[in-house]
Parts: sequence; structure tokens; C-alpha cells
Amino acid sequence: MEELLDLLKDGHARTIEGLAMELHTDTDDVARKLEFLEMQGIIKKVISSANGCNGCSGCAGGAAAHAGASTHAGECSCGGGASTCKGCMPEGGFQNMGQMWEVVV
Amino acid sequence: MSQAATIALLGQPNSGKSTLFNALTGMRQHVGNWPGKTVEKKEGSFVHGGKTYNVADLPGSYSLSANSDEEVITRDFIASGKADVVCILADSSQLQRSLFMLADYAGIDAPCFLLLNMADVAQDQGKEIDAKAIEKKLGIPVIPFSATDTKSYEEFYTTLENALTQQGKVNVSDLQKKYEEIQGYQEICKLIPKEAVPGYSPMWLAVKVLEGDPVVSNQLEHILGKDVFSKIQTIKAASKGALATGGCKFAWIDDVLSGAVKEEKKTKGLSKLDKIFTSKVWGKPVVVLTILLGLIASFIPALPVMLVGDGVLALKAPVMAGLSAVHCPEFLILIVGDVIIQSFSYIFKMLGFVWGVTLVFGLLEEVGVMARISYVFDNTMGKIGLQGKSVMPFLISFGCTMGGAAGSRVIDNWGQKVLTIALAWAVPCGATWATIPMLSTIFFGPWAVVVIAAILGTMILHMWLTAKVFGRHLVKAEDRYGMIMELPPYHKPKWGALLRYVFGRTKETFFRVTKVVLLVCGIFWLLSYSPSGQGGVLQTIGTAIEPVTKIVGMPWQLFLSYIASGVGKEGSIGVISALYTGGSLGAAFNEAMAGAGPAANLSQILLANVTKPQALAFIFAMTFNMPCVVALAATYQETHSAKWTFRIVLYYTALSLILAFLAYHVGLLIW
Repeated sequence: MEELLDLLKDGHARTIEGLAMELHTDTDDVARKLEFLEMQGIIKKVISSANGCNGCSGCAGGAAAHAGASTHAGECSCGGGASTCKGCMPEGGFQNMGQMWEVVV
Repeated sequence: MSQAATIALLGQPNSGKSTLFNALTGMRQHVGNWPGKTVEKKEGSFVHGGKTYNVADLPGSYSLSANSDEEVITRDFIASGKADVVCILADSSQLQRSLFMLADYAGIDAPCFLLLNMADVAQDQGKEIDAKAIEKKLGIPVIPFSATDTKSYEEFYTTLENALTQQGKVNVSDLQKKYEEIQGYQEICKLIPKEAVPGYSPMWLAVKVLEGDPVVSNQLEHILGKDVFSKIQTIKAASKGALATGGCKFAWIDDVLSGAVKEEKKTKGLSKLDKIFTSKVWGKPVVVLTILLGLIASFIPALPVMLVGDGVLALKAPVMAGLSAVHCPEFLILIVGDVIIQSFSYIFKMLGFVWGVTLVFGLLEEVGVMARISYVFDNTMGKIGLQGKSVMPFLISFGCTMGGAAGSRVIDNWGQKVLTIALAWAVPCGATWATIPMLSTIFFGPWAVVVIAAILGTMILHMWLTAKVFGRHLVKAEDRYGMIMELPPYHKPKWGALLRYVFGRTKETFFRVTKVVLLVCGIFWLLSYSPSGQGGVLQTIGTAIEPVTKIVGMPWQLFLSYIASGVGKEGSIGVISALYTGGSLGAAFNEAMAGAGPAANLSQILLANVTKPQALAFIFAMTFNMPCVVALAATYQETHSAKWTFRIVLYYTALSLILAFLAYHVGLLIW
């Protein structure tokens, strides 16, 4: 686990497959450890579709997404609703960017 | 057993708890809330073999750490002894992962049995699970199970009865040995008496203390007193905490499964294309080529929209003639023609860029290529405090800075987003690239290539400097850790969703930029308007400030053109043309914005009036000036910070003038 975290802290991007190779293990093992680190708040999922609308006319009310505000996938930051307008991002957000995590601690 | 036995169902989310609960209790269930909490409480009952059983469906959670109300409620219910037996569910198709709940449970003083749920799925995956071998290691009943298969339930009832009779608890001896290797564990264990907190073993409590569990820590502080707890805290501070205990749990799970699970390990390797994308040698060139092709391809869908701009411009003459025919005041006619129609023509041309770039790069995102681009550039971006995702706004900025600023929306961290926009401004946009080669060729002939190369070199230095200047305020050091990426599989695009997004984005952009462009172009036109057709307020100001503008190497005509380039780079050539040929500044500006060519003899006029050092100063000033008012509006829209938008404008204006000064003096040394 510590080896994994050390690798993540060096500032380089890695794929799960790459991590598995470097740690001489399999992708399932890396995936469960990432889940554990996420639950511990050591890493966090990057939400590509976050921030939603920044005040466009399609999302009523908009200006809530302010400095550093982060929202969750598929949520529109402006009105607290469950969707963004079509101008903000594709339906359901950018779903093909792959799952990403970043180290936060 | 005369009284009804209570079974608690414990498992991670999606372990099949609810399916089992519903299958057991049918209609005999009720849903409420746990006392004082908003967490749903599901209870029910069933009768089997003449006996009644109560069932509590405990809230699903990853573990039993006090990260949420659900986890605290779950573990307190179990430890309270209200359940006669705990039925732990694990997903057979991913035991390595889902047995974590069991590992976290180990040490709680309550009898239990383990259901290896979704056994059918595991079987389909080619896994052979020896439940008896696992049972032997754990010391509790273990059965393969499928909550959706009614045939599984007879064995479930039998195992339930056995578990209630045997009152077996998880054999923790191997797990404890692993914990003993953690620094500080044994010392903490010794300080916790056996019955310190009823229902929990000292091992379990010590592990939770090491993990920093606030509820357990408070309980122990209260029970053991401040002195003893202070010792525990000191020991804990020197340990590796949850990382160490988590590692022990995973190692124990691996030991439990060792020899009990047979499966063909399918190593998930990289596809051939991903091997190229992730290659240290080929990754960047392939990605750069992909992006260049994407940018070129963007012009294909952009062209029809840009033609709409020409169509709008074609309305100008008949509309102005019509207004004139109805004796409309000349000033109003000019406003309608030179400002409103002209601005809409300009807006549609810009929309063409937005439409084309969004469509092509949206398509790349849809098929999964964008994720690879982000991955390849993440390390490079990391050096300036950004993530791989930032590369997209930069690349889009080669076409249109406004698109680049809008593209920064995918960046979650606000500071990184603002920094990305600030850096994207340094990337010369399509309009700049249409202007630089022409001016460079007029003044420097074949040496224009060197000027363009110098512009590109300056762009990289500019971005590096800007990252240094703004980065320290916007991106904290702790935001610069690495990133893990799960590269998504390639797949066909969903055209409907993509087109709805592209149309939506284009529509939003249209409404957003219209307000800004009409306002700013209107003001600029008014300042440059003169009934006589010569100069106007801007010309008066220009001649007045020339002593200052000459310091940075620009006579007033070039300086006004530099100002015009801040509204839109397309305008700068038209303004130069008007000022050096004696035409109307306002009309020339608008014509230039609409794509009209400069005066035919501009080359000779410029060569006669502007020196090479002055031309070099202007090229650098114009290139690195604020991109355009639309980009300015997009920056404010995305950052929601007037302060940071103003800072970026100020910084770019100052730096472009410094660069002009340097270019001018370098030019003086050469020529």
C-alpha cells in the first residue's frame, strides 16, 4: 500500500495497468487498493463533468460555481439540479475520459 | 430457541444484501429510520421450519470505520448483541476486494457466517471457489450462494441454523499476527483492557485507533482516562496508521483466498494503440499529430458556419440602403450597418471556430482518444502545476482562445482552471496566425520564418513565465501530486448526444458573445467615428500619446492598431491600412473584422512609413496582447472572478508592451 502511495506521490501520471506492472501485481489488486485509498480520503476521483454550468442561460440561476467549488458528476452546480444544460457538456458529462484519481494527502 | 432469532445482514454496497432481504422477508418488512439519524432502517421477518427469524438489513458501507453515520450505526448494532448472528455477504466475483468488510469485521465479538454471494457470476468468470477451504481458515460457516437463485436458499437456512447453534466467530489469529508487525500496535493493545468497550476486542479497538477512528478514540479517551489515552495518541502518531492496517487486511484476505480460489488470471494488458499512446518515445508525437489533424479537420465543419457570417455581411448594403431610403438619420444607419450587422458577421465567423473545434474534439472525447491525450501530457503539464486535461484548452486556443477558455471547464480545481486560461492566452490564435505571416513577409522577406520561430519560442517562454507568476497564487504545492488514470475502452461515438452537445455549446456561445461583442465593438466604433471620415477621438488620443508609445517602438498608428488587436486580432491590419492610407479608421476596422483585405498598396506604404524594428515591435505586441474581447468575456464566464480576469488582462498588456520594447531594441541592434 505504501509502495503504491509512494508511486502516486511522485507527480507522474500512471495507468492502472502501469501501476500493476510496477508493483508486480494484477490490476484487481491495484483497483481494490485504490478503492481503499479513496475511502481513506488519500486519493479522490476526478470528476471530469464537474463544475457544470458557470452561469449560462441553459442552466437557470447559474453563478454558484465559484472559486474552487466542486460538484459531483452529473450535477449542475448552478441550481443544485441533477443535470446540466446541453451547452455545458454532453449528456451525463464527459463519460469517456476514463476514471481518474488524484492524490490529495 | 423459543424466541425469534435476529439476523443482521452485513455487506458492502452491491453485495446483494437487499436482494437477500427481500427474498427472505417478502411482504413482511417495514422501513423506517435509525433513531436520531436520517439513515434508512429496514427490518423484516420470516418463518422457516416453524421458527420465526427477524432480519435487519444494515446500511451498506465499504467498511466499519466511522466515516459516516451508516458505518457507525452498523457496527454499533452488531456489537450491541441485538443480532444473534451476523450474515456477512461478499461478492464472489471479486472476493479480493469484497472480503474487506469481513477483514474489518474481524475482532467484533458477534457470531457470524459468510455468504459468497453471486457464486453464479463467479462461475461464469471461470472461478472455482472452495468454500470449505475458506471456512476452515476463518472458523465460521461459509457457503457459495446466489441471492437471485431460489435453489440456494435451502443451504442458506441450514447454514443459518448451524451458525446460530455454533455461535462461531472469525478466527483472527493470522490477522492479529500481521497487525503485530505494525509499529505501535502491540503497545496500544496492551493499554486497552479486554472489556474496555463491550462487543469489541482490544485488537479491533487498537486497529481503529491506529486508523484514526474518531468515535473509538473518544470512547477510549472517556473509558481509559486522559493520561492513558495520551500515551496511545503518542504511539499512534509514530505509526503508519490506516495504510499499515489496510495493508494487513489485504494481505490476510490474500492468505484466506490462497489455494481456495482457482481462476485463469487474465492480465489486462494495453491494446496495441494504447501501447503507442503510452510509449515514452512515440506517445507525444502521435498525440501531437492527432491534435494537429483534429485542428485541421475542425475547419471543415467550421466553414459553413463562417459562410453564414458572410451571408450576414451581405445584408449590410441592402439594409443600409433601405434605411437611407426611409430617411433614417445617417448616424443610426452607420450604427446598424457598421456595428450591429458587422458584429453579427464577426460573431458567426467566431462561432464557426467554436462549432468546428467542439465537434471534432467532442468526437475525440467520445471515442476515448481524449483520455489518452490527457494521459500523455499529464507529466508535462505537471511541471507547471497543471494536469493533463489542461493541454486541451491550449490546443484549442491555436484555433480560438475563446474556445480554449471555455474548454477549461473540464478542470475541477479552480486555481488550475484559472492558470490554464491564463496560459491559453499566450497561445496565438487562428486570427493571429493569419496576420503574423503577412506582416513578417512584408518587412522581413524570407526571414519571416525566423520571426515566426521566434514567436513560437517566445510563446513557450511566456507560458513558463506566466505559470511561475500566477502559479504560486493559484496552484498549491499539494495540488501537484500524481494522477491515476483508467484508460477507457475505445468505442463508437453516440452521434445524437454529441450533436446535441455541440449545438448546445454553440448556441450558448452565441448568446454569450453577442452581448459582449455588440457592446465593445460599439464603443470602439464610437471612439473611432468621425463625421469627416478622418480619425476621431482615437486618433486625437493616439497623436497625444505617441511620445510614450514610441518608447515601446510603436508610432501612434501602430499603437492604435495594437489596441484594436485587443478587440480582435483581425482588426489590426485594417486599422494599419486605414491609418497609413488616410481612410476611415472605424470603417477599416469593421471591414478588417469582416475579413476584407488591406489596401492593395499597403506593402509599399508600410515599408515607406514603418521601420523594421518598429514592425518587429508591433508583431510581438500584437501577438501577445489580450487575444480578443470574446476571449476576455469567456475568461470571466469561466473564472467568475473579475479580479483574476483583470489581473490577466493587465499582465498580458504589460508583458506585450515589454516584449515590444525588447523586440524593438533587438531590431535596432540588427538594423
